[in-house]
Amino acid sequence: MPAVKETIEDVRQLEADKYKYGFTTEIEQEYGPKGLSEETIRFISEKKGEPDWLLQWRLEAYERFKQIEEPDWAKISHPPIDYQDAYYYAAPKDAAKYKSLDEVPQELLDTYKKLGIPLKEAEVLLGVEGAAETAAEARDKPRVAVDAVFDSVSVATTFKEELKKAGVIFMSISEAVQEHPELIKKYLGSVVPVSDNFFATLNSAVFTDGSFVYVPKGVRCPMELSTYFRINAEGTGQFERTLIIADEGAYVSYLEGCTAPMRDENQLHAAVVELVALDDAEIKYSTVQNWWPGDKDGKGGVYNFVTKRADCRGRNSKVSWTQVETGSAITWKYPSCILKGDNSQGEFYSIAVTNGRQQADTGTKMIHLGKNTKSRVISKGISAGRSDQTYRGLVSVHAKAEGARNFTQCDSLLIGDQCGAHTVPYVEAKTPKATLEHEATTSKLSDDQLFYARQRGLDEETAVALLVNGFCRDVLQELPMEFAVEAQALVKVSLEGSVG
Amino acid sequence: MTAPVRLSDFENAIADALPEGALLDELMAKGLPHRRVEAWKWTDLKTVLSRFPAEAGEVILHASREPDAVAKLEREPSMIMPRLAAALGGDCAVYELADGETLNLDFIGSATGHRIVSVTVPAGVEAVLHESYQGGKGSFANIAVNITVAEGAKLTRVIEQNAMPNSALVVTSGLSLGPEASVEQTTLGFGAKLARLETHVLHSGEGAKLSMNGAYVLGEGLHLDQTSNVRHAGPNGETDELFKGAVAKGGRGVFQGKIHVERAAQKTDAQMQHRGLLMDAGAEIDAKPELEIYADDVICAHGNAFGAIDEDALFYMRQRGLDEASARAMLTCSFLAEPIEKMNHEGLREALLERLTDRLETL
Repeated sequence: MPAVKETIEDVRQLEADKYKYGFTTEIEQEYGPKGLSEETIRFISEKKGEPDWLLQWRLEAYERFKQIEEPDWAKISHPPIDYQDAYYYAAPKDAAKYKSLDEVPQELLDTYKKLGIPLKEAEVLLGVEGAAETAAEARDKPRVAVDAVFDSVSVATTFKEELKKAGVIFMSISEAVQEHPELIKKYLGSVVPVSDNFFATLNSAVFTDGSFVYVPKGVRCPMELSTYFRINAEGTGQFERTLIIADEGAYVSYLEGCTAPMRDENQLHAAVVELVALDDAEIKYSTVQNWWPGDKDGKGGVYNFVTKRADCRGRNSKVSWTQVETGSAITWKYPSCILKGDNSQGEFYSIAVTNGRQQADTGTKMIHLGKNTKSRVISKGISAGRSDQTYRGLVSVHAKAEGARNFTQCDSLLIGDQCGAHTVPYVEAKTPKATLEHEATTSKLSDDQLFYARQRGLDEETAVALLVNGFCRDVLQELPMEFAVEAQALVKVSLEGSVG
Repeated sequence: MTAPVRLSDFENAIADALPEGALLDELMAKGLPHRRVEAWKWTDLKTVLSRFPAEAGEVILHASREPDAVAKLEREPSMIMPRLAAALGGDCAVYELADGETLNLDFIGSATGHRIVSVTVPAGVEAVLHESYQGGKGSFANIAVNITVAEGAKLTRVIEQNAMPNSALVVTSGLSLGPEASVEQTTLGFGAKLARLETHVLHSGEGAKLSMNGAYVLGEGLHLDQTSNVRHAGPNGETDELFKGAVAKGGRGVFQGKIHVERAAQKTDAQMQHRGLLMDAGAEIDAKPELEIYADDVICAHGNAFGAIDEDALFYMRQRGLDEASARAMLTCSFLAEPIEKMNHEGLREALLERLTDRLETL
């Protein structure tokens, strides 16, 4: 059935000209050499005062990058990207010197405030001083530690001290290279190898900043951790690298947000995120992706080519990815779980909205290697305008993964007759002792509930809307509070009339 | 940028037989399809054939009657396998089916051979096309079948693919459905060293109906790839697909189904289901049920589920005094029979069910 009017109105709210984050910050910046070369890589490495092994690691990645080709299997199209016509390093001048929030220039603090992230106030109001705080107060005012990444550098990380008391390491990856080289050496590239794919290889060669989290054995991270990525400078790409390690029995919830100014050019964002969960550990990773999507004619916008992967190494470990994707001109992103430990679990919840001329090819990979591993994939896609959206997912069950279970459901909705919605689920099964289900129908989801709702006097469309919205809220509830509000505004879209 | 591929002796022998031209250039540059080609991900034709004898042979065709014409192909196909079939398989045998006719086409591969046939069902005609495929040891048969079903015509197509443990087979069929045309296709496949049954369907007119079903049983060392691409270009079309397969140790089943709905194809109703049964450890099933949709007022759904035999059902049957082997066989048979039972043609349906039961007994 076609989408109802209310839905269409809601989607219109998301159209390009309503983009609130399209401003630029006037601040003196310094750039690395233009183009991709050994010189650029040496420049970045030197800027960050990196040890030699990391420089060699980068150079090796660059050698591999020169040999591999850009992938072409995704359902996206764009003019060829000129990798020589971009800056790989841009940073506010003197950025490396900020010792504390007090030294961060006002322009930057204002920028984050404008984006809804008052770095300084957050720390002062709720932070270190608030020792008398009761547990009830803590619940009322949930605190979030923020790592703010501005173009190529992390400008501030809040609540660092307090986290330290709990034993949690939360800092930019550049700092971690200096302060915890043993952890970086052990885990960097252990989930997404240097030459995993074209964009990951590029990232390995030129990554600039990102967040590093280590939660030690048995620790439940006392607050939400968050990184806010902002591209500001013209003609730059952002190549961040995030590494999160949850040691045995640890728990952490991490959220990521991103925006960029409105520009006519296409900007490249090629990030790598690696998660490692050891025995009994749990990582919750949420993203609200709202990069500048380009204007309604498809001019400008961020190319978001991201590799995100979690390694559930330990027994009973669990990783859950939740994403709300509304931005970017092109998205190419498949947050994945390698379920290596016995009884480990992977989850993927996604809501993606494309509009204008956006293109998104996104989904997940669940690789079942251990016994009794479980995975659950729920994906909702909404295409409007002249956009194209593809769900592409892989569920692979290896011969030794006895007792593995997967449930996948992906629904998509088209609004208007100029857009496209596509579903490409790959399933590979090598053991008879696994149960894999893939579904893509709305009615199957809720026959009984639908019947019940209709018994209560709702017409079919209202009943479906009610149920699917209720379900959507379930996905949104997976998001930490701070983002749930923003995400709800983005996805106040009912999903009735979904097609497989 | 692409590094030139190394051609095997087998590929070189095919290249030697080809005249100069675009097809030869393409083969020299890319070779035969292999697992790095997205559409052939789970069917590595290049590698399997590189171990086959590079010996020229032919595809023998036993038809129940003479063709109406033998002619050059009017339009060259676009994909490499049917292009090779058209280039190396000699002229195309053309059949125009009469109302009530049953045409039998039995293809037998010997060494490396190619063949192309074309079948037309004229407007308003109701007919049956029955194909069977088998091959001798070390044979590779590459066959292209073009079928045109005109306005309001009805075709029942049955494909039987015999177990061919030592040979390879690629059949590429193109079906074009006119307005209000209807096609019911049923496949029963037992696999080969490598077998691919690829079907492309175009709903070109309004209100065409396609029911495409298949069952497969694969024993040790047998592979079968059923790939389909159904394109809805006209409005109010219907597609209903059901594929079910059972794979024993050492067998590999591949299902790739795509439904493509163009902007003009409003009110399309398309359903695709694939169910796989892995009978033992060491069996493998790979599937990719794909939807590509550009129209906003359609009903499209797909489902895909894999698992083992329901232990509760097995337990219940054993309680009733059946031994485990018979209980398993019965459950497997009833699982696989569903796509075949959808056939309207009673005689063909019973024949296929019998062949299915026989095959399960010898597995």
